[in-house]
Formats: sequence, structure tokens, C-alpha cells
Amino acid sequence: MEPILYKVFGAVVTIILAFVVGMTYMGLSRKITARVQNRVGPPVYQNFLDALKLISKKTAIHHGIMQMMGPAFFMVTSIGSLMFIPVLNDGRFFSNLNFEGDLVFLLYLMVFGPLGMALGAGQTGNPNSAIGVTRGLSQMVGFEIPWVMALVALMIQYDTTSIVGLMEAQSASGTWLVFSSPFAFIAAVLAMLGMFRYSPFDIVGAPTELASGPVAENGGKYLFTMMSSNSIFAFVKLTLYVDLFLGGADNLIELLIKTFAIYLIPMLYGLVSPRYRTEQAVRYFWGWPLFFGFLAIMYAVVF
Amino acid sequence: MEMIHLILIIFLGGAVLTYFAGKVNDILRDALFILSILVPAILFFTNVNPESYIDLSIAGFNMKWGITHFGWIFSLIVLGLGVIVSFYAVSFMKGRDKVGSFYFNFILSIGAMLGILLSQDFVSFFIFWEIMTWSSYLMVVYNGNQVQKIGIKYFVFSAVGAYAMLMAIVITHSITGSFLITDLIAVFPQLSNQMHILIPILFLIGFGVKSAMMPLHVWAPGAYSNTPMAYTSVFSGALSKMGVYGMVLIMITLISHIPEGHWFREVIAWMGAFTAVLGTLWAVAQDDAKKLLAYSSVAQLGYIITGVAIGTELAMLSALFLSILHALFKGTLFMAVGAIEKQTGTSNFTEVSGLIRKMPWTFLASLMAIIALAGIPPLGGFVGKWMLYESLINSNHYILVIMIFFSSTAAFLYCYKFLFGFFLGQEEKEWAHVKEAPALMVVPMIILAAGTFILGAYPGLILSPIDAGMQAIGFEATQGHYWEMSVILNQWGDQVVLQPIVYAIFAIFLFFFLFLFFKSRKNTRYVTTKDISSSGEVPLEHENLTFSQNFFQPFLRAVEPVMRRQIDKYYNEFGRGLEAIFDFGRRIYTGNGQTYAIYVIIFVIILLFFKNNLFG
Repeated sequence: MEPILYKVFGAVVTIILAFVVGMTYMGLSRKITARVQNRVGPPVYQNFLDALKLISKKTAIHHGIMQMMGPAFFMVTSIGSLMFIPVLNDGRFFSNLNFEGDLVFLLYLMVFGPLGMALGAGQTGNPNSAIGVTRGLSQMVGFEIPWVMALVALMIQYDTTSIVGLMEAQSASGTWLVFSSPFAFIAAVLAMLGMFRYSPFDIVGAPTELASGPVAENGGKYLFTMMSSNSIFAFVKLTLYVDLFLGGADNLIELLIKTFAIYLIPMLYGLVSPRYRTEQAVRYFWGWPLFFGFLAIMYAVVF
Repeated sequence: MEMIHLILIIFLGGAVLTYFAGKVNDILRDALFILSILVPAILFFTNVNPESYIDLSIAGFNMKWGITHFGWIFSLIVLGLGVIVSFYAVSFMKGRDKVGSFYFNFILSIGAMLGILLSQDFVSFFIFWEIMTWSSYLMVVYNGNQVQKIGIKYFVFSAVGAYAMLMAIVITHSITGSFLITDLIAVFPQLSNQMHILIPILFLIGFGVKSAMMPLHVWAPGAYSNTPMAYTSVFSGALSKMGVYGMVLIMITLISHIPEGHWFREVIAWMGAFTAVLGTLWAVAQDDAKKLLAYSSVAQLGYIITGVAIGTELAMLSALFLSILHALFKGTLFMAVGAIEKQTGTSNFTEVSGLIRKMPWTFLASLMAIIALAGIPPLGGFVGKWMLYESLINSNHYILVIMIFFSSTAAFLYCYKFLFGFFLGQEEKEWAHVKEAPALMVVPMIILAAGTFILGAYPGLILSPIDAGMQAIGFEATQGHYWEMSVILNQWGDQVVLQPIVYAIFAIFLFFFLFLFFKSRKNTRYVTTKDISSSGEVPLEHENLTFSQNFFQPFLRAVEPVMRRQIDKYYNEFGRGLEAIFDFGRRIYTGNGQTYAIYVIIFVIILLFFKNNLFG
């Protein structure tokens, strides 16, 4: 048993890594979006400046205790799930709580944040926030299904529900899961489009339509917490995809390359797509993604 | 006198005494009400040992009373919930009419449920079952509204279930010559194929009605929402579990021992999953909190039924754990709705909103119960859900996993609707006068909600009696294989260690909560929910910004094809068909003396006709 201080140190280092990488990716995505739209765009480090500005601002008003609890709930999900995901292969990074929870646990922890943040948004009384939340929850029901099907397919193919177990299975066999269970990967990637909330699935924030939705009414420290939580969560999701399908990473450089490759998929798809209506978004996930999910499960049962 | 007799006599005598005490003094009546549930509960848990039985013989029937280790789990639900809700009920019923009959039925149904668990023979089982049905029926029609629609529906379904069960009991008696449950279990594997199918189906109809399994659930939403909320906590939390109790007895002790059992259990598991999915979708569509929770209860029991039907060790652990958890969180939620209804006069989301600052403790209890219901770690609901998924994956039920997961993800929608509808959103002037419910109503809610919290960190506390109960009905010991005090494992050895998780989650939450809370509490001022930016304008005082109509309309549009078919319609069609038959019957039995006279004459003529032809 490692001393508790070492554990805390490891956790803090992991959080800082996730924060920096997530923020940088968001900055990059703003830059790339701008270049595609033939604009100059903000510098890559713009998000750090934004965060610095937000945290240094004084807050003058609040809407009640739930508004303060909402972002904290969201942080629980981001940092909590970060603790359970191995950053690098074979325990080369801090192990945090990697061995204490499995995939089903992670699935549930990952849906906690949106719900908690939704409650925080609810207390502000802004109708746009509540509308955004109902859309977000509906969309979540949509993409969770193919995502879970992909995960179930992996679980039954390798007889384990733990993330570390699946990574070990990949390094033992030498093939990435993206090749040994391709349909699961397709279903998971299609589900990821909804998870990252870029167009055409940006119905929650919906710029110009809902006036940024659930985060409306939040500024200063609240917005800082939400923003950093968001970037940590993006890192969590990307690392999880890399761990599960792309054989993990042996060093940080490899991790960055692989995660950025995955990150490009929803971002570039979003650049060329207009926004869906909510029921279209929900139904989208119950079409082809669901079909590939079924294929993945059948493939896993047969092989 | 035996302790079991004494306990049942206290229930019965307490019910009658409480009823008549109301004619003398209200405080005496309230005190008697609480005592006549509290005293038997204390006596039961201190003096009744599991697996010790007493025989008695009444009117030629041999009966056997006593509690098994398995029944003991359910007695925990019945008496634990009963005692806590009884305190709530006193405060809830203050100033209402017909309090006496409410108390009478309340005590009687708690007593009857305990009686069901105590009876080891079918005669007393059936009698207690009927007492339970009758007392709950009187609760359903207590308000006196919609007796025709809801009361009759509940009654008809209960009657169908009871007759099915009675038929099974009679068939059993004609085969074995005994009413003892153990005798049926011993004989069952040697019976003919027909009996292997017939007896379990008849029993399952009886138990399926009480546990609101699709397609026998149609009575539940109406009945749950029409009952006074103080009783609905027990109704949904404990009474529906009697169906689960019976179902476990049938599924595990009977069906597991016959060759066709596998298919039987698959069918029931699928029915459970459909119950969960459709119950959840309908819950999302409701605008009344009572209806929402009622459909949600139907859905939650779907999980439990699926777990029971799968019947592996892990699945049984999860089903029984979820039964107890469901009693805790659904008890809390129904009590919260009762409190809100008492303070505001309505339980409709479209009417009331923004209560969080007026009823903070009710909100806290609801929030915890909702987190447990949604199955989010670190609260107890997660443990049950986790075990259910892992058991389904381990036993190769992949499509069922997806269905259950869909249902529990869609459950977030109504969870949010519940919290947002009542507590969050715009604060309206209309509800400015609302105060927090009395302490006697709030404390029981908080206690139950705290229970979900403790079980989330230390599920072993409740899994160890469950394990003892499961060993009593023939399972292997599960401690160490599937659970420790705060660890849960699956068949492949993957684990979730709950204690560090709980610590980590709380550390993170507290850190960021204090980060946001610390300075802003003093340096910021509270502003009303009208002081917001809506597209760059500050809304005026009279502008209505409440969002509660058509809350999940886009989602409901997406799932509309599934919800177009209502099982209710089929029953109504069936009912109309029956009515047509009865109508035809009424043309014959007109009630008119002259018609009957014509019948007699026609009959005599026919007789004469026959006589002349055949015998003449």
C-alpha cells in the first residue's frame, strides 16, 4: 500500500495533465474550425487565458445552493472517472484508482456529471437552461445505447469487465481491439459523435438558439469550474477510447497522437454538418449505430 | 402463548382499538397507532427466531407458522418501512377525515404482510393475502374519487390473481393432500408435465399482479396515485414486494428443479425487461408526480423480476438488494410527494415549481433518493444495478442488458423531471407562502434516504442477511465470491471497491463545493429567478418563464412508435367484449316476471314435445 500522500500527489499530477491536454485540444479545435471557415481564429492558448480571466473575476450574485453544487457534481464525474482510467499501458503512469472499479461502474459515474450540472442549471430559473438540459438528457439516452452495446461486446469477447483487463488482453494478443472487434469500434465512434456534442449534435448548448443552454447564468468561478471540468472530461473520454480500442499508449507522446486522432473525428464531422433537431438526434443513434452495436455483439458471441 | 400469536393479536387488536380510540381522543389514537406497529416490530426482531415453527390446527386444516431466513429479509422491509412510515402518517393525516379507518387499514395491511411471511402453509398464506388485498383496496378508494375507474380495476386484477392462486392451492392439495409449502416443494419435481406448467403459471399470475408485472400492471399507476401518499410508501415499497417474495419461492424452489424451467425463466425475465422499459417510458410522459412515481415503481419492479427470473447467485443478490433499496428510495419519494401535496395542495409539475428554498430538507431527501434510484455511485442503488448488469452479462443475456440499461438511462429523464418540476425552475409568487413540512414528516424521509447512503458504502450490511436467506432456499454461500463488506465482485473476478470510491467522490465534491461556496456565500447576494438574462433582456416581473409543459416532448416524439400501443386498450377491448356477452345475458334475465313465466311455459312445451317424441 502506497502512502496516502503519494496517492494524492499522483492524482494531482494526473488532473493537471488532463486539464492541460484538454484545454489545448479545445484551443486547437477553435483554431482548426476557424481555418476551415477561412478565419484567422484565436491563438491555441486562448482557452488558458479565458480560464485565467474567469477565475480572477469576482462573483456578485448567486441563485442558491444547488447552483453551487451543480458544477461540483460535474467535477466529481470528470475527476472521478479520470482516476479510474489508466493513462498509459502497464502502469507506467500513476495508477490512482485504476483497479478499484470496472467499466459498468465507469458508465454510471460518467452520466452523473450531466445530471448534476443539469440540477445546478435548473436552479437559475433560466428556461433556456432547462430546455437545453431536457435535450441533453434525451440525447444521452440516444447515444448511451450503441455505446453500451459496444462495451458489452468487448466484455463478452474477452471475459472481463475491467479496463485494465481489456488493455492486458490487447497487449497479450498484440492486436488492437479496433481490428479484433471492428463493429464495436464503429458503434462506439458513432456514439462518440453524440458524446462530444459537436455539430450536428450540439443541441444542448445550441448557440444562437438556446443562448448556450445550461451554462447560461454562470460566470466567473462557476464557468471556470464547468470549463475545466469539460476539458478534463474530454481527456477522459479520449483516453478511454485509446485504452479500449487503440491498444493504449506506451508514452505520453503516443497518447497525445492517438487521442488527437480520435478527437479529430467528431470535430471534423461537426464542421460539415448542420444541427439536428432533438428527436432526429435521438433517432439517429437508434439507426446505424444500433445496427453496428448488434453486429458487434453477434460477432463477439460467434467468435 | 407463542410470540407469533401475540404479534398477530397485537396487530389485529391494535387496529380495532385505534379505530375506536379515535372516538375518544385524537392523541390517544395517534399514540395507539404508532404503538401497534412499533411494539410488534420490536417483539418480532427481538423474540422471533428464524427457522423455528409452531403448528396449529383450525377447522381441520393443519397450519404452520414461523419465519424462514428468506422471509426474514422481507420482514425487514415490511416492518422497517412500516414503523418509519407510521410516524410520517400521523403527521400526514392530521386534520383529515376518516383518519380512524386509514389507521385501521394501515395496521391491518402491515400485519397481513407479516402474516404472509410467517405462514408456511397455503391456507393461512391465502387468508393473509386476502386481508392484505382488502385493506389495500380500501386504501385505494379512501379518497372516494374515481372509485369506479381505479378501485374496480385494482379489485378485478387482485381478484383474478387471488383466484388463480386459489386454484393452484386447490390443485396442490388434491395432489399432495397437504397444504404445507414444503410438501409442494418436495413433491413438485415428480409431478406430470402439465402440472409442471400449470401450477407455476397460476401462482405467477397471483404474484405477478401484486408485483405489477407486464401485462398485469395496469392497475398500478391508478392505484398508487389514488392512495394517500403515507400509505403509498408502504404500498409500493413493501406490499408489491410480497409479489416478489412469492415469485422467488416459485421461481427458485419449484421451477429450478424441472427440466422446462430454463425456458420458463427466460420468458419471465423478458417480461421483466419489457416491464422496465415501458414503465420507464410512461413515467417520462407523466405530468403528475404520483403517476410518475407509480410508473417508475412498475419499472423498478421490472428489474427485480428480471433478476429473480435469471436466478443465478449474483442475479438473486441483486434482485433482493434492489427490493430493499426500492423500499428505501421509493418510500422516501412517495413521502416527499405527500409532503409537497400537503404543503401546496397539488402534486402536479405543471402547477408547482421552485420549492427548493422553501422546502430544503424535503429537497435533500428527494435528491438522495433520486440519486439512489438512478443507480449513480456512491449511493446504494448503484450496487444493485451493478450486480444486475454483471449477472446478466455473466449469464449471456446480452439483449436483456441493453434493455435494462436503456430503461435505467431513460430513468434519468424522469428523475430530472421530478427534481426540476417541484424544486427547481422559476419561483412563483403563488407559492411564496409555502413552508417546510413538519419535522415528523421530514425526519422519516431523511432517515430512509440516509439508509441508501450507508448501503452504498457498506452493502455487506444488508447482503449478509440476504446471503443467509438465499442459503435457506438452496443457494451456495456467496460471501467472498460476490461480495465483501464494501467490495462487490462478478463471476470473472472484476471488482468495485466501494470505500475508496466513496472517499474519493466526497473529497472531490467537497473541495469544489467549498471552492465555489466559500467566498461567494458572504460576498454575493441572492437574486431571484427573475433576475436572469434571456437573450440580452432582463425579464419583467409579470413575464412567465416557467418551463413545465411538454417537458420531454422531443424525446417522447422519438419514442412515439413504442408508446402508441397501450396494453390498457386491449383490456378495455376485452372488457367491452365481456360487456357484450353480459348484455346478451341481460336480455335473457330481464328481471321481468312475465318473461320468466314465458320461459317456464316454453320449457314445459319443449318437455312435452320431447316426451311425445321420445317416450310417447
